[in-house]
Amino acid sequence: MNVSGVMPQAAPGRIPAKAGVGLRFRHHQSVAQARPDVAWFEVHTENYMGGGTVPRYLDTIRRDYPISLHGVGLSLGSADGLDAAHLERVRNVINRVEPGLVSEHLSWSVSGGTYLADLLPLPLTEEALAIVCRHVDQVQAHLKRRILIENPSTYLRFRHSTIPEWEFLAHVAQRTGCGILCDVNNIYVSASNHGWDARTYLAALPPAAIGEIHLAGHSVRELGQGRTLRIDDHGSRVAPPVWALYREALERFGPVPTLIEWDTNVPALDVLMEEAAIAEAILEEHANEAAYANVDANAD
Amino acid sequence: MKPHTPTLMPTLIELQHAIRQSLQGGVDEAASAFVISEGLDAGERLGIYRNTSAGVLVTALQLAFPAVQHVVGPEFFEGAARLFMAEAPPRSAWLDAYGADFPQFLAQLAQAASVPYLPDLARLEWKVNLVLHAADAEPLEIARLATLGEAELEDLRFEPHPAAQLLRCGFPADAIWHAVLERNEGAMAAIDLADGPVWLLVQRTRGDVRAVRLSEPEWRVAAALFSGQSLGAALAAASCGEPHAVLAAHLARGCFANFSWAHETLAL
Repeated sequence: MNVSGVMPQAAPGRIPAKAGVGLRFRHHQSVAQARPDVAWFEVHTENYMGGGTVPRYLDTIRRDYPISLHGVGLSLGSADGLDAAHLERVRNVINRVEPGLVSEHLSWSVSGGTYLADLLPLPLTEEALAIVCRHVDQVQAHLKRRILIENPSTYLRFRHSTIPEWEFLAHVAQRTGCGILCDVNNIYVSASNHGWDARTYLAALPPAAIGEIHLAGHSVRELGQGRTLRIDDHGSRVAPPVWALYREALERFGPVPTLIEWDTNVPALDVLMEEAAIAEAILEEHANEAAYANVDANAD
Repeated sequence: MKPHTPTLMPTLIELQHAIRQSLQGGVDEAASAFVISEGLDAGERLGIYRNTSAGVLVTALQLAFPAVQHVVGPEFFEGAARLFMAEAPPRSAWLDAYGADFPQFLAQLAQAASVPYLPDLARLEWKVNLVLHAADAEPLEIARLATLGEAELEDLRFEPHPAAQLLRCGFPADAIWHAVLERNEGAMAAIDLADGPVWLLVQRTRGDVRAVRLSEPEWRVAAALFSGQSLGAALAAASCGEPHAVLAAHLARGCFANFSWAHETLAL
């Protein structure tokens, strides 16, 4: 089922093609009170499923900022099928927050009725592709809106995988009409861990499907003999080569809403805003170049 | 010539089952066979996910049981949490709802027996966690009962407010909870563990979570109503002198969200 033609691309509070910041609990109060100059915020859907103070902060903040909902619990790649109760909880959060974007991951985290509390890698097979597509169809039909799917960062590959991850993701977007959340740091981390070419990855993604970009820091683990493993821990500033890859992503995709994520040892909001300012400058540079290119084209 | 290794072709459900075994039980054999080891052993690769998963769940339990953690210390807490996770892993991705069985687990944990009040403290913290994340609802307004006749009142059943929970503790868990979270060693030293049982109403009002101590008869009236007994039956069974005054106090506290009639429930 291709739903992109019949469903709105974004609800009220549309997310602009600007740099936003991942909103975490420690910044709720200061954001609600001081209203810092941030273009938009993204929150983790699972953190707002109950009542009380936490969602009430978001009720306040969403009056001033567009909000994007980023889920970690739908487990789109589970062979067992979707958790209907969890999908309904997601729908309830969407109804309350009215987000501009809703996203999830190309991964799985539920097996045998147990939630494994991590975004686990899928074998990249035709079987898994069919299962993910079926679940994305079901989610989009239940939520009555398009969702974005994020490429994972991974630390292992399966022997029986047959489809490159970038093709797998492009197929999911093409078959279901979902968009892609391109996590540039994840591409860099996975490419480094598995010896992939990050540029090949970017080149395989359909630009029209890219609805959002994520940027975050990662750490490097030394394995000995000069080998390293990169870990996507969202615990530091964006690494220089990831900024470089971000520029290449914008060249290919055009200006896209871009999020700074930081989840481990979350720093002061000022630090996140500094990172967002770097992304914003690159976005603006790119928008200017695109404008000049237009002028040139019109002069012909 | 290199011997040909046949490629294993597990179905997705088989593969996910094997990885669950690896992450939960530390049994890597089946999952490792599916993973490319090049550069780093399959078991170590799986270990990265196992650590993240365990870390997320330990954090979820730490957030729900901060006073328990302070009493037993972070190392003991993490050890107990890991044992609990293996025995009772979460059933859904809504981790605010994970940990309901942790108090019972602690009650059976031999290594925790030297802290006799620990299960009660954990039960209280779980009620606090439930109330903290409970759905929002307006409390029932007393005025809505004013127009009802005696027979209607007799048959009425109250719907508990989602952010109101009742708890009976053998130990003075509320006093311990306050003293621990406030790091008030003086208050902690002054607690008489024999000063129990305590009959508690744990409630969220205007964003604050409180544990209110009730008298046993007051608590029993609330418990009867929370369990779905009709108002007539609950008041008739009350062992206090002024059951109507007790009911009025519960209503004023915002213990209830709505009411219905027994015959309506039966009609469903």
